[in-house]
Amino acid sequence: MPDQSQDLSLLETLDHLLDRGVVIAGEAVISIGDVDLLYLGLNIVLANVDALIRTTERR
Amino acid sequence: MRAVVIGVHLRREDIEPVAEAIPLGELFLSGAAVADDQPLGDRDLVLRVAQMRASLLERATFIAIRYGFAVRSSEEAMAKCAPQIERWRRLLALHRDNVEMTLKVAVASTRPRPERQAFASGADYLRALHEATRAADVDPRFREAASRLGNCRWVHRDGRSLECVLLVARDGVERVRAAGEQLKRDFPEIPFLLSGPWPLEVFADDDHK
Repeated sequence: MPDQSQDLSLLETLDHLLDRGVVIAGEAVISIGDVDLLYLGLNIVLANVDALIRTTERR
Repeated sequence: MRAVVIGVHLRREDIEPVAEAIPLGELFLSGAAVADDQPLGDRDLVLRVAQMRASLLERATFIAIRYGFAVRSSEEAMAKCAPQIERWRRLLALHRDNVEMTLKVAVASTRPRPERQAFASGADYLRALHEATRAADVDPRFREAASRLGNCRWVHRDGRSLECVLLVARDGVERVRAAGEQLKRDFPEIPFLLSGPWPLEVFADDDHK
């Protein structure tokens, strides 16, 4: 049986890696109305990573 | 070759041999070497960087750089980061013995997401979306109790959760974990997740409101 706390810990770790920390100005960030578009893009990456992990685990 | 930047550090020995040290004036960036043809969204790369990030934090506190920033040389790093170096040096010296911990709380009330069709421009829609996200709140008694855990900043991440980010001395992490357990007993009806330690993420941002 998968260890749920390990899954949670990995998700939290990825969430912090992809969605926290300093964004280097001028690198790729575009903000409109205080909404950070890079933030939205990286959420897509996170979703893909999450899906990849689940897919790998099912094999 | 290029390097995905993980964080900003005060000393080279805080980085090596866990990661590549890239000089940045008086400071150093930690980086994970990546082949030119390897996409940054590659699963194995993301997991490797996540593991390196955790190992680096065990050695010393650093300022986290959001995933996705890659450089090919120290000169390129300098060109992109120069205006921040003095501020980063000051923050790293100030918080050398501190880490962040995150208490993610499910919100008690939410405002519905705005309908895109109700706005003439995309910018107006994004503003409304931002306001809807910021309207989310948690039980004020819980908010007060969580704020007492330490130096704390509340952050709206999305419409469903709110985060209390705590700046904690490294030797205070266990105390905060124990206080989190007490919070669970005091507020059994409020779902939350306490995680950490993390590098400086929110407290590296002087513009936080």
